[in-house]
Amino acid sequence: MSFGTMAAWQAVGLVAVAAAAAWLLFRIKVRPPRVQVPTLLLWRRVLDQIREMTWWERVRRAVSLAATILIAVVLALAVTRPGPGAGPASQGRTLIVLDSSWSMAARTSTGETRWQRAVRQARTLAAAAGGDVALATTADGLVEAPTSDVALIETAIDRLAPSGGEDTAWPRVPGADRVHFITDGATERVVDTAITIHSVFEAAPNVAIVAFGARPASAGAAAGEAYVQVANYATSPQKVKLTVSRGTSVISSNSVDLAAGEAVSQVVPLAAAGGARLMARVEAPDDSLAEDNEAFAWIDGADPIEVTLVSENPGALAGLIGSDSRVRVTHVKPADYRVSREGVVIFDRWLPAEPPGRPALAIAPPDSAWLGHKTTDERFARWTRGGNHPVLAGVDPLTVDMRRVTGYESADLAPLARSEKGTPLISVGDTNDRRLVVWTFALADTNLANAPGFPVLAGNTLEWLGRPSYGVLRKPGPVRLPPSTSRVVSPAGQPVPLVRTADAVVARLPQPGLYLVDAAGSRGVIGVNVGDPQISNVSRSSLAGLPVSQVASGGAGRPWWMLAVALGFVLVAAEWWTWQRRVTV
Amino acid sequence: MALRFEDDFLKKLEYLHVVSKRAFVGQNRADRLAPKRGRGLEFADHRGYTPGDDFRQIDWKAYKRLGKLLLRLYDEEQDLPIYLFIDSSQSMREPAKFDQARRIAAALCYIGLAHLDRITILPFDKVVGQEVQPGRGKGRIFRVFEMLEAMDTAGPTNFRETFVKFATRPRQQGLAVVISDFLDPNGFEPGLKMLASMGHDIFVVHVASQADRNPGALGDLRFVDAETGDIRDVDVTPALAKAYGEAWQAHADELASFCGRYNLGYVRADAEEAFDTIILKTFRKGRFLA
Repeated sequence: MSFGTMAAWQAVGLVAVAAAAAWLLFRIKVRPPRVQVPTLLLWRRVLDQIREMTWWERVRRAVSLAATILIAVVLALAVTRPGPGAGPASQGRTLIVLDSSWSMAARTSTGETRWQRAVRQARTLAAAAGGDVALATTADGLVEAPTSDVALIETAIDRLAPSGGEDTAWPRVPGADRVHFITDGATERVVDTAITIHSVFEAAPNVAIVAFGARPASAGAAAGEAYVQVANYATSPQKVKLTVSRGTSVISSNSVDLAAGEAVSQVVPLAAAGGARLMARVEAPDDSLAEDNEAFAWIDGADPIEVTLVSENPGALAGLIGSDSRVRVTHVKPADYRVSREGVVIFDRWLPAEPPGRPALAIAPPDSAWLGHKTTDERFARWTRGGNHPVLAGVDPLTVDMRRVTGYESADLAPLARSEKGTPLISVGDTNDRRLVVWTFALADTNLANAPGFPVLAGNTLEWLGRPSYGVLRKPGPVRLPPSTSRVVSPAGQPVPLVRTADAVVARLPQPGLYLVDAAGSRGVIGVNVGDPQISNVSRSSLAGLPVSQVASGGAGRPWWMLAVALGFVLVAAEWWTWQRRVTV
Repeated sequence: MALRFEDDFLKKLEYLHVVSKRAFVGQNRADRLAPKRGRGLEFADHRGYTPGDDFRQIDWKAYKRLGKLLLRLYDEEQDLPIYLFIDSSQSMREPAKFDQARRIAAALCYIGLAHLDRITILPFDKVVGQEVQPGRGKGRIFRVFEMLEAMDTAGPTNFRETFVKFATRPRQQGLAVVISDFLDPNGFEPGLKMLASMGHDIFVVHVASQADRNPGALGDLRFVDAETGDIRDVDVTPALAKAYGEAWQAHADELASFCGRYNLGYVRADAEEAFDTIILKTFRKGRFLA
């Protein structure tokens, strides 16, 4: 046994002093409260009567004394922070790295998870280490700086949970003499040979959704289709029940017989009407990892975009945009324009005095205090250069003739397309709480209304403004979002902390599910799923052949001092309860 | 404590009267049958005329029929001497218990006064204190109230000494009511035996409270004898508390058994019990009041 806060002789001395103090306190006679009685006559009769004492009455004083001393001893032991370490503790620096990949959540044959085994081993290592201990995970890096206070390490361990991090860099602590890596080896890592690897691996059967998403229909009358891939990473065949839901309705439910190691794909047709939220779920008898049993996806374009067209004379623009069934257009005159909080607004050759507060498309905008000002006119501009921004995806510039273009300058705008002479044709602004697209040409000055690229450009612009697609992440972890991102809401409805950089917002999405992204009035959704062949196949490990120390199952996992404190409180409670009833002294 | 009864209750008390198992010779005319012939209203017997008898008592109708001079004899109706012993020792110091004892004494006084009985109130501890005879008639009850209200507890209990002192004065035999908790370190038996040997009809009212029956608290306690000041440290365990309760019950049973053996009336009046219930029900059930 080792002691975390003092030398062994000091610990023994402390325990002895505590026991002696408890014994002395027990011996001290407290002056009893005075109770006046009518007469002592009856008490004398009772006390003078030779009464046979029960066995408990004879021993109860000794039992109380023993319990009191035991309470003092266990509390004193808790102060010494005892641990199972053998031999004297060294004074070096120890780094404990926990593999926090999702495969660590797999359940073992004893019912505990690999993570629980790893945590128990981390506690044991921290208690026995001596000197400074640092704690890190593969997902979060260093979570507790080197400290000699084991309680801090314990507290940090309690906060941790599997959260991915399969691809992150190896955490390093300067001056670490010993490095312990507790892992199941499901994610292959190249580690230094000096690192002591503790394996919590135990082969486990698992069934997982390894791919899930929605896409436009490839054939038939359906508006789209959901595709799902299920794999059986078990050594025996399994009957797997697969359910696909759209919103609150189940759109597909069937059982699939999967051979050992087999993966099957299914396609579920999606009707035009219905919610955008898709969820797939599998159930199987032998399934050790729950996190990959559900997968989420989002149908882009399932909800129509509300568009407000502000124009004195919209001309063909309203009809052209309104012909898209996924867009709902409302036309207002500039004089009737009122700021609203929903959808996208299109300003046709006019701008309000104040920023619109929601995503906006400005067509041939005038000078504005909040946006910018016009520069030189260019006649018969040729659109020759384009970028790979989503607004320009699929737009053929060669079919567009521009008779007149007026350059527009703004600090918040970044040109995506320019004319041959360098006049900006299409610019975007994606800054904090502002999401804008500016076309520097009026529709009347171009043949755009008749050009094949117009529906694509208009659709791209409205999609990017009002319903940006963030796609589906195959693993939880950090994601880069546009600078205009103001809020990310987790599947549980909690806001996700955001880190702002110069050109992006970074959010860490820790759990599977659908995350809602608010960016300057636009609303997008990110689906995060755990299921992945790399993670879900929890029957294999990359540790085979490596010198590893296998972590045994079982045990409380809690440090001894916590057990000592718990025992002390139980004994105090028992003493108090029995003392109240005069069962003990 | 203010000893006042409501009018309704007093009216109910007036319908009651104290029952004595024996008839006693009183001093004054009243409505209670005395064990001698006298000038009452109830005809009792005839006897032969002897010179010197009152002519007015001769039964002339009997003379006409029998030719003999016979005298009509009537029952004598006199008052009943009632001696009310009230334990005012320190063992009665608990307010609930002492108040109950004084209320019972006041009620019995009122019943006695209403029937013109001769009441003597005798507070006692180790000896009899100053005795009070309020007089006759229910109007004297206020004097009784004042006397009982002024009464306080003091000293230890000693039944034997109390009744020895009581016996030092010649007294008419009558009904002796002893209101006490009967916690006498020397025992209650010698005193009650002595009182019975004086020819009184004895009625025992055993007043007890919850504090008497149950120690109330558990743990290390320092018990102080209210009468003697003696101290005893006791670690009261549940078993010991139970044994104490049993000892008290044995004491109460012993008193009741003693009263039965010596033909003494016995009623238990717990301090927690409603006072009017004790008077109107318990005492009637114990055939002390009718």
